[in-house]
Amino acid sequence: MDHMRNWLLATIATPLIGAVLLCALGNLGRNVARWLALAVTVVTLILAGVVVVNFPADGANADQYAVTDVAWLSAQSGLDIHFSIGLDGLGVFLFGLSALLMFTSVLVSWEAIQDRAPLFYTMLLALEFGCLGVFAARDIMLFYIFFEFTLIPLFFLIGIWGSEDRRYAAIKFFIFTFAGSVLTFLGLLAIVLWHAQQNGLNYLTFSIPELTASLQQAPLPFVWQYWIFLALFAGFAIKVPLFPLHTWLPLAHTQAPTAGSVILAGILLKIGTYGFARFSIPMLPAATVHFMPWILGLSVAGIIYGALVALAQKDIKRLVAYSSVSHLGYSMLGMFALNSIGFMGGTLQMINHGLSTGGLFAIVGMIYERYHTREIASFGGLAWRLPILSFFMLVLTLSSIGLPGLNGFAGEILVLLGMFQRAFAESPPQWLAPLQVLSVLAVSGVVLGAWYMLYLIQRVFFSELREPSQQHADHRPVTDMNLREIAAVLPLVVFCVWIGLAPDSLRQRMEPTLLKITAATEQPLADRYTEETEITASALGATEEEKLSRVR
Amino acid sequence: MQDRIDILMMLAPGLPLLGAILTAVLGPKLLRSQSHWPVIVGTIGALICSLLLLLHVADAQQAADLESPAGAAPYEHVVKLWTWMDIQNAYELGGTSHNFTIDIVLRLDALTAIMLCMVTLISSLVAIYSAGYMHGDRGYWRFFSYIGLFVFSMTMLVSASNFILLFVFWEAVGLCSYLLIGYWYEKPIAAAAGKKAFLVTRIGDFGFMLGLFLIWTTYGSLNYHDVYSDGAFSASTAAADATIAAQGVLSPSRIVENNYVLGGTALAICLLLMLGACGKSAQFPLHVWLPDAMEGPSPVSALIHAATMVTAGVYMVARCTPLYMASPTAQLVVAAIGAFTALLAGLIALTQFDLKRILAYSTISQLGYMFLGLGAGTLAGISAGMFHLFTHAFFKALLFLSAGSVMHAMGNVIDIRRFGGLRKLLPITYATFLVGCLALSGLPPFSGFWSKDAAIASIHDRVHALEHELEHRQAANQDEAHVPGSAAAALPAPLAALSVAQLSTYANVYQWLYYSAMFTAFLTAFYTFRAFLMTFHGELRVPHEAGDHAHEAPPSMYVPLVILAIFAAFAGLVLALSHSFDNFLLHAPSLALGWVTLTELPGKFHASVAAISILLALAGTIAACYLYLYERDQVSFLKRFFNFEWLNQVTEGAFVRLLKNWGPVAAIHNGAKRIGLGWLTALVGDIFLLLVLILSIPLLIGSYLSPYRLSFRKFYFDEIYNLLIVRPLRGIAQLFYWLDRNAVDGLVNACGYIPTRFGNLMRSLQMGLMPFYALAMVLGMIVLLAARMLWAN
Repeated sequence: MDHMRNWLLATIATPLIGAVLLCALGNLGRNVARWLALAVTVVTLILAGVVVVNFPADGANADQYAVTDVAWLSAQSGLDIHFSIGLDGLGVFLFGLSALLMFTSVLVSWEAIQDRAPLFYTMLLALEFGCLGVFAARDIMLFYIFFEFTLIPLFFLIGIWGSEDRRYAAIKFFIFTFAGSVLTFLGLLAIVLWHAQQNGLNYLTFSIPELTASLQQAPLPFVWQYWIFLALFAGFAIKVPLFPLHTWLPLAHTQAPTAGSVILAGILLKIGTYGFARFSIPMLPAATVHFMPWILGLSVAGIIYGALVALAQKDIKRLVAYSSVSHLGYSMLGMFALNSIGFMGGTLQMINHGLSTGGLFAIVGMIYERYHTREIASFGGLAWRLPILSFFMLVLTLSSIGLPGLNGFAGEILVLLGMFQRAFAESPPQWLAPLQVLSVLAVSGVVLGAWYMLYLIQRVFFSELREPSQQHADHRPVTDMNLREIAAVLPLVVFCVWIGLAPDSLRQRMEPTLLKITAATEQPLADRYTEETEITASALGATEEEKLSRVR
Repeated sequence: MQDRIDILMMLAPGLPLLGAILTAVLGPKLLRSQSHWPVIVGTIGALICSLLLLLHVADAQQAADLESPAGAAPYEHVVKLWTWMDIQNAYELGGTSHNFTIDIVLRLDALTAIMLCMVTLISSLVAIYSAGYMHGDRGYWRFFSYIGLFVFSMTMLVSASNFILLFVFWEAVGLCSYLLIGYWYEKPIAAAAGKKAFLVTRIGDFGFMLGLFLIWTTYGSLNYHDVYSDGAFSASTAAADATIAAQGVLSPSRIVENNYVLGGTALAICLLLMLGACGKSAQFPLHVWLPDAMEGPSPVSALIHAATMVTAGVYMVARCTPLYMASPTAQLVVAAIGAFTALLAGLIALTQFDLKRILAYSTISQLGYMFLGLGAGTLAGISAGMFHLFTHAFFKALLFLSAGSVMHAMGNVIDIRRFGGLRKLLPITYATFLVGCLALSGLPPFSGFWSKDAAIASIHDRVHALEHELEHRQAANQDEAHVPGSAAAALPAPLAALSVAQLSTYANVYQWLYYSAMFTAFLTAFYTFRAFLMTFHGELRVPHEAGDHAHEAPPSMYVPLVILAIFAAFAGLVLALSHSFDNFLLHAPSLALGWVTLTELPGKFHASVAAISILLALAGTIAACYLYLYERDQVSFLKRFFNFEWLNQVTEGAFVRLLKNWGPVAAIHNGAKRIGLGWLTALVGDIFLLLVLILSIPLLIGSYLSPYRLSFRKFYFDEIYNLLIVRPLRGIAQLFYWLDRNAVDGLVNACGYIPTRFGNLMRSLQMGLMPFYALAMVLGMIVLLAARMLWAN
């Protein structure tokens, strides 16, 4: 397995080299640029495929998979920062997903991007570099560098190639997420500092595996965990986005070019949930347990709120954007149920959402390319005109509303089962009632989700044919999907079906890593459980005594 | 031998799926108008497999019975294909940790075998019929690949051996239904109907999912079957020394121990599952989608929305019998929902004019009978419910396909007011439709009679059993169950735990359900023959859409009709008299063990119940013949009567004006006019008019709620749901969106302003005056020093 490290290094380096090439070769013209970008993403995809496929099938020793560790600053200097990358069960499929969605993004931009194409593809490849790096980083400093690095290319993608309101959207996106991530950085630094202080180290270690292991052995005091958790929460929750911190998302989505939306929904949002799973839960277990009911509440609020607001939309893309808020709510719900079923479901849901919503945005982009509008009311019966496109849209919609047999169901049912288990069997008495209400509400999101998506399908793809009049100059007749567009979406659909039929193949690879993460919270949960139960018991005891005294 | 069975079990769903895939791949370019072949061959292959499996189960049961006549273990066989999800130690319950292991597993037992045969038989016939009916349609291949997909999903649904897989295919058949209702998606009404069907059943699925989650948290398993320590799934295949590693929810080992929770949890599980069944089987309050689903092609209505998919709920409840036995209250609710739905749908069907919608309401009504039987909570009732499911599949598919044949001839007109007297024009359809009507009305010896009567009789028995128990308790003057052995039969523990007061309530409710079911039998006969006579009797009328070439259907359409008619006519008679259906079915694990075996056995024939129901059905038939066979004068009279049209006359107010011309009043008025007091009488008249108008408001409402209107407008369920659920939710959605743009985002933007404002504030301090800076510095130092001094003290 040792040679896999070279493959991993190559995977991450390829897009960077591609970006540099594109930049260095200067003004190549659109055609060369897009072919070059396609070649780079295909190579990256193949390399990433090799890395993902070779991941141990039972997930054992995932910590050691494809690790490259080079010291940047040595421990003698006081800062022990490494260039350390590797994949474990949590990151491996998100890593693969990033490579896949980049391929889709290049293909959907093929005709859509007319001006300054070389720059566009440079940005896209730079973004790919950042995304791949985030999921492979094993060092906090490196993680943060990649994390921030994803912001800049996307800022330009939205700001330059977006729709009418692009400047505002780009700035809002940037400031919103940047403000959060600064706090996150403070939180991460605090973990590093306090860890060093607590263990009496004379240098600061930034290694994620080391910190995770060490903080599980000797957790930080609760007060520190509490504040650090809040700091991390600021950045990650905005990124997810968790209700009510989501308002940048619909705006950014509607203004971004198609490729931007695909990547934003498919990958960048996952960095938020990934951050929670990578840092907050394993490193700050006591605070996680403390905040669990609140985060579960916010997740359910997001599920229902996102679904209802999606129902009120008149713009296809905005509808899909709000559906993201709802779906990411499921992901958070599963992770913060803090049991093995829920956590597995939440992680699976990240991948599922990337596939189905990424695909949906790609298709919405294709519709926009044809008609130059995204207004639901101006469409009808597109299944007549665009049967293949409608087929893909239908499959992705069904995947998105969690139809069994497709991927969405596998994640959703695990998330909800995990939440139910937490609410009905694994909580101290006084949490039971509120959590039970939350879990039932979460299930109702399943109905709402079907409602807004099928409403969209019925209005846009079924009924009588109604097409917007094309005011734009090009009088090309509207044609169905061509091979390039099918190639962009087909891999996503294949994976949707595959995960739907055999999610166990993913489970096996992810499980050992995920179990380690949830194991961290077991002790705090148990403490909390006994504590709360005792309080309830004593309260009950008091009332019993009171009653008895009254009787006497 | 066992391998052969495994392969057959996989082929039964596999062949239709293969057919569907072949059609989807080859249909558009290669097969075109021959696209039906893969699917027809696939379903017939599945039918053969199912029949072989049925024979195998029968053999195995017979062998087991011979071996140990007393307590033969029920036959079940489970095959695993692959593991879908396997999370070890996922859940700790009562000190043991449970694995969340969901395999793709197929099972074979008596219940599954019966359902498989029924589904594949009807599907084969419908597929053949469709080849004629859909001929020349634009999306011919699309239609057949959906049908193949549906047959696959439905056979998987009845073969599934865990709740997750059941739910998977529960949704998959829903998807096929969605696609096929909206098959002619260019019709906005069809697209809307498809969406409505999916969403309403999704509300049921919401309950179903909650039920599954509760089963998981309560029992720590979602499998039907046990898992043994050596990985086997049933006692017959496990090694002798293997122990049960994880007990299934519906496994023989659990059922025989009656290892089920009671009380509130049991009730909650059962009611949530029932909500799912209500959605799928179109029971009140989720029945609203089925009539609209008739927008799909007629073969789809016959296959999915009459014979197979809508019975999935009945199948599921029958499968979960052990869970329902744990909660008598849930059984009462099931029976009550069934009886109420049957009555409601029967009342609505009386006044409808769309032939397929009448049949749709009759389907809802008949499904209600099935649930009524299941709700009786006795072996007799459950087997009656399943028997009714079986016979209903034949005669209702027959009716829908015959209706399709009528539509085919009438140029897709389906309003029974627009055609009539078709018996000469469509002789075969006339005969088959008549057989279907007789079976649906429950007239002997047609099959509907035997099964419906068994369901009603089981309720009758249930009342008797409860009253019997009450008498005993009163005789013994105690509030607990009487000691078994002292009288006829012991009651299952959950029922025996009820108090006298509860028992007498139950007996009362069941008694009323019995009356209601009887009345519904009358309604059924009436509306069935109303539709039949309006379509086929009277003078010949053909709508202009039919053109002048209205003709009988081609052989590919009428041959399946004739086959179905033979089944509809005789299946009930043969199976009921030989008791072979009951005997076979009761070997299913869910029905062969546990509490349910303490209850009334099927096979008793109640002459009194049968006599009443025959009389009522005859009365309904005769009433329909009297009203509709020749002159239809009385019909409009009845319509006016039940529409309270006399109320309209009262509320009109015009008669007050007419009063003026009435002798005595006119005399007074004229007299008053003569002495110049005309205004006074006019005023009195106006006040009277006003009074009448005010008084008439409730009457006006009354006329909206007249029996005729209620029935014709389907008791306003669509309007009520729209007003109470859809509109408010849409309103909330708009409100949230407004809040999202203004309040939530506004808050964010406000946060964004703070740094700017703060910056402006700071900027105003930077005025560039040296003295000011110096002053500020001095002041600052003073403050610091003062603070330091205070601190020191």
